[in-house]
Amino acid sequence: MASIHLDNVVKRYGAFVGVKEMNLQIADEEFLVLLGPSGCGKTTTMRMIAGLEEPSEGDIRIASEVVNGLDARDRDVAMVFQGYALYPNMSIYENIRFPLRMRGVPKNQQDALIRRAADMVELGDFLDRKPAALSGGQRQRAALARAVVRQPQVFLMDEPLSNLDAKLRASMRVQIKHLQRKLRITTVYVTHDQIEAMTLADRIVVMSRGEIQQVGTPDEIYSDPANTFVAGFIGSPPMNLIEGQVHSGRFIAPGIDIAAPGHMHGNVTLGFRPEDCGIAPDGQAGLTGTVYGIEPTGDSTFLTILAGDKQVEVKAPRDFRAPLDSCASIALDPARLYFFDSATGQRMRSTQ
Amino acid sequence: MAGRTTRGESLWLRYMVLGSWALVCLVPMLWFLSIGLRPRTEIITPQPVYWPTFSLDAWHALWSDWPIGAYLRNSVLAVAGSVVIDLILAIPAAYSLTRYEYRGREDIGFYILSTRMMAPAIVAIPIFFLFRNLGLLDSVWALMLVYAAINLSVVTWILRSYMMDIPKELEDAARTDGASDLRILWEIIIPVTLPGIITAAVIAAIFAINEFLFTLLIASTANAYTMSVALANFTGGSDGIIYNAIALVSFLAFLPIFILVVLIQKNLSRGLTMGAVKG
Amino acid sequence: MRALFPYLLVAPAVTYLLSITLYPGIYAIYQSFFLVRFNEWIPVGTDNYVELFADTEFWGALLNTLIIGGIALAVECLLALVLAYFAYRDPFIRGWRIVFLMPMLFMPSAVAFLWKLAFNDGRVISDLLMRLGLISQNIDFLGSVPLARLTLIVADVWQWTPFLFIIFVAALQGQDQEIEEAARLDGARWPQIFWNISLPMMRPVIAVAVILRGIDITTMFTNVYIMTNGTPGGTTETISYFIYRQGFRTFNFGYASAAAVIMLIITVVSAQLIVKRAFRSGRA
Repeated sequence: MASIHLDNVVKRYGAFVGVKEMNLQIADEEFLVLLGPSGCGKTTTMRMIAGLEEPSEGDIRIASEVVNGLDARDRDVAMVFQGYALYPNMSIYENIRFPLRMRGVPKNQQDALIRRAADMVELGDFLDRKPAALSGGQRQRAALARAVVRQPQVFLMDEPLSNLDAKLRASMRVQIKHLQRKLRITTVYVTHDQIEAMTLADRIVVMSRGEIQQVGTPDEIYSDPANTFVAGFIGSPPMNLIEGQVHSGRFIAPGIDIAAPGHMHGNVTLGFRPEDCGIAPDGQAGLTGTVYGIEPTGDSTFLTILAGDKQVEVKAPRDFRAPLDSCASIALDPARLYFFDSATGQRMRSTQ
Repeated sequence: MAGRTTRGESLWLRYMVLGSWALVCLVPMLWFLSIGLRPRTEIITPQPVYWPTFSLDAWHALWSDWPIGAYLRNSVLAVAGSVVIDLILAIPAAYSLTRYEYRGREDIGFYILSTRMMAPAIVAIPIFFLFRNLGLLDSVWALMLVYAAINLSVVTWILRSYMMDIPKELEDAARTDGASDLRILWEIIIPVTLPGIITAAVIAAIFAINEFLFTLLIASTANAYTMSVALANFTGGSDGIIYNAIALVSFLAFLPIFILVVLIQKNLSRGLTMGAVKG
Repeated sequence: MRALFPYLLVAPAVTYLLSITLYPGIYAIYQSFFLVRFNEWIPVGTDNYVELFADTEFWGALLNTLIIGGIALAVECLLALVLAYFAYRDPFIRGWRIVFLMPMLFMPSAVAFLWKLAFNDGRVISDLLMRLGLISQNIDFLGSVPLARLTLIVADVWQWTPFLFIIFVAALQGQDQEIEEAARLDGARWPQIFWNISLPMMRPVIAVAVILRGIDITTMFTNVYIMTNGTPGGTTETISYFIYRQGFRTFNFGYASAAAVIMLIITVVSAQLIVKRAFRSGRA
């Protein structure tokens, strides 16, 4: 059980900066998700915590002990990898036993620990098999068992579900969260999948280009994004972002003319989520454009509207249909509009 | 194996070409086998004898007139010993070349590769003097050392190729599980590269069995004669070259090699190209 | 310590290799400046090299190596490509492969004796050609320069075409089937696909295979030693055999070492120029 602190951690590869000046506190027993596109530095951050890479600058502390320079095998962390990284030459039993053996857990305690870990992930019947004889989901569970078997101070998970199909991913997600809650082990989880992040995390760290964009609970990240990057990354489909101008209290862009908070002017980006707008009766539209495409998903219909040269996603009722190129009018919920400074991408909050 | 279609090419031509080459391969072999199983009087004749009388003369002569047992023993000892030396040296070397980043790594790897290009004749004289000074001429030990040297580059590069295929994740996992570098090598890398290790060992063994020039220089009696060089000494003074004995010994050496190669067939092309082709 | 660890792992192998390349290399260079008579070493400066450069036998050996090696390599490459082209999609490829690779599994000295008997001592080839009516009287294959060279080429081609064949087949089977299928849908026929798509994609593999074969072929010794001994008139003497003969037949070690040094230089230069590149791209 441990908290993790990153103090001004920098990782450079030659001239390239992988992680910039990172400061992060991860509380004991917290489930923290590092979220971002590939190359944003999230995996590097995790590997530095694991001890697989050394930070170029700054300190990493686990349970308030500085672990810089400490080899991975001397840190009490367990990691689950994207490709499972099961040892193909060993049975599942031997795989789960490996960390116990390496850390000198007495032989007579090993068997009970292994079986307990295997039962936790429902792999008790597969212990004699080689990894190659297991399905993707079973392999992932075996990797989890290998991580939990020695009750480490910290769990690190590097995109553990990205090689699984959608259905398995959903059930594994639940299982991982359940395990983490039950074992109460501090967990850092890396993913580029925002659904995984939203469903698993106590707190999400959104990263881009080696920098933290926002840290917050899933709810905060979703409903109170700090900048256009976070707004555009979270949500499926993500928030619509439309660049325009604010003049005398009106936000104007092709197809849009709506009221804006009084203190703004100049280049402003408007954001609104597809689910926060709807098809409007004529004359009440906040946004007008032509229908570009329609994607029924079963429980709703996603409508792509072309406003000027900008595509806007709108969530419409499930039975909504419209011909291509027909005019569409969209009503926006004024309480759910977000404004960002176009130059910096930062959120402009209304001063009350 | 896609596209077994016959359209666009005639099957007749295909089997004609392949069948012809199969004959080119097989006929000389079968004829040579018949040489081994005929009496000496039917080998070198004014007119070649195509339907010889069957005879095990050569087989009996091998055991009564020649120390064939010693040749076999020398071949096996020198070859096996050299392969063991190669593996002991090449496994850590290949591990170092694949799993670590360090200055000069590429150059070291290339240096090892380039020794494969060294013609035996270039180093033959110095090696001969070296072993003479060490008092190792005409000994199996010298052959062992030389064979190991010849094949070390091949073995290292084959292993390097197989080790490069092991995902880095596997090693990271072992490291976070608490294993040291040597433990990782011993418990993960070596077992996982076992097919590559076997391939490298077989290829090295074949090259070692075939080796001729160094053996010719080092060996001078049955103390160190291997099958390969012993062939050149199956002469009976006025009788000339004793071809039926040569043919039999050739097939005697062929059989184990054939079995070994069939065992590693899947990896053969990769082994022969020192890992450059993944067959 | 940690930084030294990878060096420690590779050091034994490198040391071992240095002892059979660097040490003999230096030894050969040193010895090439001496006249060696039994245990007596008489310094002669660059005399060995001067003599060597004026020695028509030396230049002849280099030329022979290039002619014999070049022809054999070209024939092997062509044959292997044709065979691979026909074989790699054949349902019986495993069978073909086993049969084709058999000659490669004989000891080179055995193959040399096989062809020595067939061409020379047993006169089988000559007899067969007569029976086919292609020639009217027995041929002495060691009696003419091209025929003597031909016997060496035949022996090499017979034994080593499989080497290239196996590699080419593996390369063809390993290539992305989708590309071939796309070409088929685009209307290409097999010969066109092979020539325009498969072959260019195989180029790195061909390069590696041909280089490896080329190394062995230019260092050819066993076949010369057993089959021709350089006859007639030294026209089948390869550079390896030249060095051997100077060293171990006439015991002219200093002179042989000078020739070895020249060969070493050629080796090092071509290693730098060709092999490095081929092995890089071959594994790209």
